[in-house]
Amino acid sequence: MAKSDDGIRILQGLLVFGNVIIGMCGIALTAECIFFVSDPHGLYPLLEATENDDIYAAAWIGIFVGFALFALSILGIIGVIKANRTLLLVYLILMLITFAFEMASCITAATHRDFLTPNLFLKQMLERYKKSETDNNNDKWMTEGVTKTWDKLMLQNHCCGVRGPSDWQEYTSAFRLTYNDADFPWPHNCCVMDARGSPVNLDACKLGVPGYYNSNGCYDAISGPMNTHAWGVAWFGFAILCWTFCVLLGTMFYWSRIEY
Amino acid sequence: LPAPPALLPYVPRVPPTALLGKLTATTFALERPCCVFGRHANASDAIWLVVAFANASAAFRNPPSRADVPRYERLPTDGSYMTLETAAAAYACSATSSPALRVGGDTVCRGQGCRDPCNGPLPSPGPYRVKFLVMGCHGPKAETRWSDPILLRRAASPSTIDPVPAHHSSHAVVIASVLAGLGAVLAAAVLGVVGTEVWGSLCRQDSGSSAFARRSYRTHHIPPALPQPVPPGCRCSPPGLGCVPPRPPAPCPAQ
Repeated sequence: MAKSDDGIRILQGLLVFGNVIIGMCGIALTAECIFFVSDPHGLYPLLEATENDDIYAAAWIGIFVGFALFALSILGIIGVIKANRTLLLVYLILMLITFAFEMASCITAATHRDFLTPNLFLKQMLERYKKSETDNNNDKWMTEGVTKTWDKLMLQNHCCGVRGPSDWQEYTSAFRLTYNDADFPWPHNCCVMDARGSPVNLDACKLGVPGYYNSNGCYDAISGPMNTHAWGVAWFGFAILCWTFCVLLGTMFYWSRIEY
Repeated sequence: LPAPPALLPYVPRVPPTALLGKLTATTFALERPCCVFGRHANASDAIWLVVAFANASAAFRNPPSRADVPRYERLPTDGSYMTLETAAAAYACSATSSPALRVGGDTVCRGQGCRDPCNGPLPSPGPYRVKFLVMGCHGPKAETRWSDPILLRRAASPSTIDPVPAHHSSHAVVIASVLAGLGAVLAAAVLGVVGTEVWGSLCRQDSGSSAFARRSYRTHHIPPALPQPVPPGCRCSPPGLGCVPPRPPAPCPAQ
């Protein structure tokens, strides 16, 4: 009798510990997802224009799942300590629903990250950057977003195009329709700027003299934050789910051992 | 009859150095012909650049005077024009300035009909051939050889770009498969536990007693005690009072 009593006590202790970890991870997940949704790098307009912003949807789900995990962990701790079958049953069912939502968030973030290829951003940049004739309000909104984001990207990260300035030469673009090739082989934001924001030497920039134009592509500046975002949501959520899985199995075992 | 212009062995070429903009869709760059003309060009002479379509270069005839120089607007009809009129001093051996000449870089002058030579953008990818021509007061004095054909860039349409990724990364496959497995196991476990519980409660309701959860109550039958065999030599006068040991008979009273 004493031995099984001890066993139950150990199980209780482990479950309380497990739930404490789940609660803390829930708070961390909420904080991380709020950080991503706040878009510190200003790249959301690019995703919005691709009409494929599911990694943001995954982060939004993550915010609510984090809160739910925190609340349910408190419920779980109370239920385990009081050995109350009803509380634990409610806990199990709500945790299962939360588990399902977090699964959806992780899988969405992981699979949709794969769609954000360099070609996707290249095509979008060529078709939308400085496009002068827009079809409707939505088109205009997306075009303005893409143009502002690219201008900011090129100036802040000292880069040009997705792979390099030759993107502007290899393909025709909406930019090319408004800005002729002789004066603008690539946008002037690709030129090395002085302190006042104008090109140091515009003729050298147009000729492509090394040192007067930005020769690297901006893809690294785009994919870096997006990778952090997607993998942060997907892998951290995955870790939480693995831990939660073990805690839930333990809780079910404990629940079946409680007597009326 | 004026003497034919001297043929210099210099061949104009696109600069071999790394200049990203040396060939664009409507412009191209040329190496500066420094220290090429030497004694053939005086300080008062002008050095022109002749630009012609590669298939029209053989038919080009040097203009006899400055007034006959074909302008930029004549390129579509004649297949050639002359531009970049520069003083000979700019190409002297000691001159130091920009690394290359840019043909087609002036977008302001085209179509205005002005008399000055226009270095307008080229209308088609070409190919083109160029040569330098030294024009003095009396006509052409010297010329370089024709360059190799220069082909400009042709841009493709962005609709040829395929944004779809080739295959899913390993991250996505691992996460999706492991999570699907965990979810399935969890759902099965919950169903199993809840199912056993429901089934158990149904059985309890059938038997009618819900107070005892999982134990069956076994009744113990206590049989009534049987009479014990009387030990020999004992006389039990009222039964049940226990056994009285026999007393020796009292001596008979004397008569």
